[in-house]
Amino acid sequence: MTLSVLPWLGGGVVALAAGFAAALLPRRRARAENRRVAWSSARAAIHDAGVSRDAARTPVPEADRLLARAELLAAARGGADAAREAAEHARRADEMWRRGR
Amino acid sequence: MRAGRDVLRWSLLGVAVAVLAVFLAAQRQSVTVSYGRSPSSATLSDEGSAGELSDATVPSVAEMTALVAADPVVRLPGAVAHWDEARVRAAIDGADTRILVAPPGLDEAERRRVKDVQNATIRIVGTEVSGDPYVAAPDDLPGWRAQFATGDVTGQVLALLAGLRKQPSPPDRDDLRWREPAAAELAPVTDALRATGRYVGPGATLPRLPQEAAREAFPGGAWFVVLPAQPYGRALPAYGPALHRLAPERPVVVMYGDWIEYHGPGAADFAEVAGASFYAQYGGRLSRYAYPQLNVLGAYLARVTDVRYAGLFDRPLPYRPFDPLRVALPALPWLFAGCVAGFVVLSIRTVRGAGPGRPGEVGPAGAPARLAGLSALAVELSLLTDARSDPALVRGVARLRAARSALDDGLPDRHVRGLLADAAAELDQVARDVRMPGYRPDVYLRGTLS
Repeated sequence: MTLSVLPWLGGGVVALAAGFAAALLPRRRARAENRRVAWSSARAAIHDAGVSRDAARTPVPEADRLLARAELLAAARGGADAAREAAEHARRADEMWRRGR
Repeated sequence: MRAGRDVLRWSLLGVAVAVLAVFLAAQRQSVTVSYGRSPSSATLSDEGSAGELSDATVPSVAEMTALVAADPVVRLPGAVAHWDEARVRAAIDGADTRILVAPPGLDEAERRRVKDVQNATIRIVGTEVSGDPYVAAPDDLPGWRAQFATGDVTGQVLALLAGLRKQPSPPDRDDLRWREPAAAELAPVTDALRATGRYVGPGATLPRLPQEAAREAFPGGAWFVVLPAQPYGRALPAYGPALHRLAPERPVVVMYGDWIEYHGPGAADFAEVAGASFYAQYGGRLSRYAYPQLNVLGAYLARVTDVRYAGLFDRPLPYRPFDPLRVALPALPWLFAGCVAGFVVLSIRTVRGAGPGRPGEVGPAGAPARLAGLSALAVELSLLTDARSDPALVRGVARLRAARSALDDGLPDRHVRGLLADAAAELDQVARDVRMPGYRPDVYLRGTLS
């Protein structure tokens, strides 16, 4: 009885595990990649903003504040959303310095 | 290709689930036990439904008690049991042992009246011998034969007496004698058998054959000789062996009272099994009640059918229709395991396939080549820039560095291309600012990469 039931039980468990793994692993991988892409963009944007600040002739306190915020976010190393927010702040600071130039 | 694999993967899982469902559905368990789907149905069922109650009745308890007190052996009207008086008398050995013999086929209330006769040591209802607290019954074919063919209960009475006195039972003795039927006896039997396949002797109670049961038990036809219960103490005419000699290929069923014998092909194989199982199961009821011979014969033929369908004794089994589930059942676990294995393998391949992107294609249009070209352009432009165009150059170079690290990290090609496009836009701005159309990325890259 037990011996004949074992293959069915084991097979069911293995199939279930495989299904979950096949569904979850790519999703997790995509999330991790998404996060790294977002941080890559964010770091580039922060660097851009820093260059624009150095090139600006007049100081823009609001832009300074935004860039500091973006750098703080980057230092905290959050998720994809934090990276996008940091990139957005850096981009706005970059625009302010370029316009203020 | 990818979609086809996904369809295959999910259909494998579907097949596995279907196989599991079929397996579970096939696990229904039933308490009905059937001898190879034997069609037999006749049994000797509960009291009162098969005509086993006779018209015989017994007097009141007080009257019977008075009768027993007056006489050591009381035979009520209709009693059928007989015994070897000399042996029983020797066993009683002068003790005060009183015997009450009642007819068979009494209903429950009448049997209780017989049981309530306190001064009877041994009570016999039909051929059922009992005495508090025992019931004596034969346990082999000669015992049943003596009991049901001639109403001989000597063995049971002796065993019961021994039991009441806590002595060992005397050994069984087969006192039944046989004689060769005379030619004049045999002639009407064979004539009737040749004409209609059955002979019902005078005094026998068989109005008709149980046709369906007979056809199932003996599909090739059989001869039935039905005689009433034989008088006790006289030799029985052995019709079975005589008829078997006459027609060796024909099954012959001979019935003496409630005792049924089989003679014919295969008798050595199954007559004993059929008879022993039949009388072991129904012996108690047959001894107590007065079943019509029709019902007894029907039940016996049903037992023969059961034995035939059990496939014992190398008898060919009846045809069983092809049942795909029964054939496939042993293969189902393997099928299930195969489907699960296929699903697992395809799942692994799916996960692997969606893994980190392969490095972008190398070539004139590949991201690494474009990165190299743009880096070279940045180096060339860096010689020409002034304070106005420096920031754009620095931004472009930073983008190139970001693209390079993204490429090293294996980030998706789209992202790398986006960074390179940003860098190209910055460098384009620089080239326009320094008024060098030849250094605009489109033009420069076309020149170096072509």
